[in-house]
Amino acid sequence: MRELCEQAVAAALGAGASYADARAVVRRSQVVGTRNQRVERLDDSETQGIGVRVLVGGAWGFACDRRLSAEGADAAAQKACAFAKAAPGGHRRDLAPVAPAQGEFRTHLERDPFEVALAEKVELCLRAERALEHEHVKVTSASVRAQREHKVFVSSEGAATEQEFVECGGGIDALASRDGVTQIRSYPSAHGGSSSQAGWEFVEALGLEREAPRVGEQAAALLQAPPCPSQLTTVVIDAEQMELQVHESVGHPTELDRVYGTEAAYAGTSFLKPEDLGSLKYGSEHMNVTADSTTPGGLGTFGFDDEGVPAGREPIVAAGVLSGFLTSRETAAKIGSGSGGSMRADNWSRMPLVRMTNLHLEAGEGSLEELIGGVDQGVYLETNKSWSIDDKRLNFQFGTQIAWEIKGGELGRMLRDATYTGQTPVFWGSLDAVAGPEEWILHGLTNCGKGQPGQHAHVSHGTSPARFRDVQVGFKQ
Amino acid sequence: MSEALELAHRLLGAAEGEQALALVHSERSGMARFARSEVHQPTLIENDVLELQIVRDGRLGVAAGNRSDEDGIRALAARAAEAADSAPADPDFPGLAPSAEPPRTEGYDEEIAALSAEDQAHLAAAAIDASKLDLYGFFTSGVTELALASTTGLAVAQTMTDASVLALAAVDGASGYAEQTSWRLGGIDPAGASEQAVEKAEQTRGAVSLEPGSYRAVLEPPAFAELLTYFGYDAFSGLSLIEERSYASGKLGERVFDERFSLADDSLDPRGLPKAFDFEGTAKQRVELVEDGVLTGVVWDRTTAKRAGGQLQSTGHAPPSSARHWGPVPFALSVGGGQAASAHELAELVDDGIYVTRLHYLSIVDAREGVITGMTRDGTFRVRGGKIADPLVNLRFTVCVPELLADLPGLTRDPVLLNQSAYYDERYPTGMLSPAVATARFDVTGVGSGPGV
Repeated sequence: MRELCEQAVAAALGAGASYADARAVVRRSQVVGTRNQRVERLDDSETQGIGVRVLVGGAWGFACDRRLSAEGADAAAQKACAFAKAAPGGHRRDLAPVAPAQGEFRTHLERDPFEVALAEKVELCLRAERALEHEHVKVTSASVRAQREHKVFVSSEGAATEQEFVECGGGIDALASRDGVTQIRSYPSAHGGSSSQAGWEFVEALGLEREAPRVGEQAAALLQAPPCPSQLTTVVIDAEQMELQVHESVGHPTELDRVYGTEAAYAGTSFLKPEDLGSLKYGSEHMNVTADSTTPGGLGTFGFDDEGVPAGREPIVAAGVLSGFLTSRETAAKIGSGSGGSMRADNWSRMPLVRMTNLHLEAGEGSLEELIGGVDQGVYLETNKSWSIDDKRLNFQFGTQIAWEIKGGELGRMLRDATYTGQTPVFWGSLDAVAGPEEWILHGLTNCGKGQPGQHAHVSHGTSPARFRDVQVGFKQ
Repeated sequence: MSEALELAHRLLGAAEGEQALALVHSERSGMARFARSEVHQPTLIENDVLELQIVRDGRLGVAAGNRSDEDGIRALAARAAEAADSAPADPDFPGLAPSAEPPRTEGYDEEIAALSAEDQAHLAAAAIDASKLDLYGFFTSGVTELALASTTGLAVAQTMTDASVLALAAVDGASGYAEQTSWRLGGIDPAGASEQAVEKAEQTRGAVSLEPGSYRAVLEPPAFAELLTYFGYDAFSGLSLIEERSYASGKLGERVFDERFSLADDSLDPRGLPKAFDFEGTAKQRVELVEDGVLTGVVWDRTTAKRAGGQLQSTGHAPPSSARHWGPVPFALSVGGGQAASAHELAELVDDGIYVTRLHYLSIVDAREGVITGMTRDGTFRVRGGKIADPLVNLRFTVCVPELLADLPGLTRDPVLLNQSAYYDERYPTGMLSPAVATARFDVTGVGSGPGV
């Protein structure tokens, strides 16, 4: 694969490119999904190809070819250059300097998920599903996934890296229904569970079957729970929902390509401006957010990004102040700071974009119980159900699967259909506590969408439960 | 026989099972994506995805790959067989679709098929050159072929073309939006879309806030189509109906919407992006979902139709196997037109309310009740005295779609085609035919950022 990448880069330079890089990727994925004790999905897919990115006269071009052959490498390079030459606009693109990377990276794992028989995966799902069963639970579902990606990257500046990533994940859902009301509970996360860059040991440690009875019972209990009342109150948010809060209201707005407007037509832009760096008050002094592509187990962990920039750890928000952006080499050059490190492409057939790697809310201190203990009257919110945020990432509304009233520092009755809403800097400004490292959990999600044509990124967030004052909480509104 | 169908037959020949279905999904596409009036993400894609479904003793396994050489096909067949052997038998497995002649459809245009990468870049340039403001968006076109062959004698193939232009004219404090989609190149006017976006953007300067509350509203086709698409995933799916997650559960045959509202799923309509068959090879058919406000049907694939029992048959709405957990999907929604000549006429019907061009980041709050939240963007206005008045900042809405549909004072006469594909994974162009509508109830629950970038 390295020779093919070198050939593609040479062909691009020969066709007039001033810069070129090539990525050859072989990806295999398995998904097993069961629903109401039937196998719904049992898929084993493999895809491979080469993607070539070029700069010609300051204009980008990208083309790909599924053939991992000399013909495929040449064809992709020639087409990328032709597309760049035809691109309209007055182009000038600089790339932040970076030392040409040479190296390898491999996921640390104990049990290769592709050595685990599909039949064992099916049986795990069916067992977990049986444990979800409850009188009012109408739909039970379980799924597990595994992915291995072998990637070689070569650039015209002399970078040459080879990496192999392995991911695993799983999750369960129980949908309860009675008298026209439906309620759902999930574990360990909504929307497909949680994944990690690890071996099968990650899925085993999730304990899907162990957690299932609680999940099924809570789904059924929600049918009789009162709706969450609308009020301005204190909320304590669990680590899983905090993952999405960080993702949507910190991760996306700090992607520097959004700040410069290149996602305007689809995912949107950002309320942040380049000049806000180092001065904008993003939240309270309890807010510390870090981008870390070295986190063990993170889905955004790598040796090198898709521009050959080595992994690293950077503060994004420090004590409530905007301290960094997620960047590419191009956007880093534009803002005159850093050298990128957040460029990732979904597979071989897409151009790399600025993406989150692993973005963490750093732990504070104390336990979840202590956070709740500090609330006289409020609501505890757990597990995402719905999510929406405006195109500049200011106004958001999230719904959670389950909530509990907090009274006198203790959890009270269960509430259903809770939503909460806010404006990003105001909301983060109301953060008054983050629980400690013992409550900090790494969640991995695989459905972060961006770009045209669309790309899915796999991203991890480490978060602890957190407490916010004066938050508008509501019922389906 | 097309190359894709030939490849499907080769793949089928490698299958070892009592039944097998081979599918080839080919894509040749280009997208010139631009921002601040210059192309920044140009992407050319060529790929053939091969998929094999093997049935052994009632057990189904699926494998996919993109190698078409003999070794690649053999390896793919071996993985599909292993998958089938690993699954327990499903007593409700309906078997593979029988051989059938798909309906004749339109949907292929030589002009689009002949577009080179340079042509695609020039069409993007036509949009950019026509804009007085910074332009964001893309021009894209592609040729997609779907071919299926099975041991039950199925042998179908369709080559489709599609082209879209998306134009967001935007500067600080102003933005306007327009889009066009067609399977014919003649149906696309990049410069026209660009000019329309600029005209809208110029009207959004000086946007003001709005008190949350329930408003009468005009929804332009992009806004109404997106809302209905999200509602339709669950409301009109046979799987959701079986699982009691659908708004239609227990309501089929009831008049629940305004009698001016009729909705079908119609992949055969040449005004849309026509499809002849679904991912199981079943012929597409038009399905009436709502007739004069009465809920009349949902869509089915083979699995859900068998599970539901009775005389139900697949309506030709099976999704790709990677999305089987969605159940059948109404990929080609089509709203019946009304009497109004224009959205401005709808504003007269609304008299006092708001006007919405486009929505952003929708999320389903409650599928069973049809509650959806999201934001407006790129052209939100106050309507006063039946006229479009002050521009507004982006509004958060949380609406119960059935309540929104219960009182529709008017719809425009001619539905337009809206692109419904964000081009994730393999290209499979989908679109919706929608008019603009006036509704008596659109619930605004908050305000967000202003227009512009």
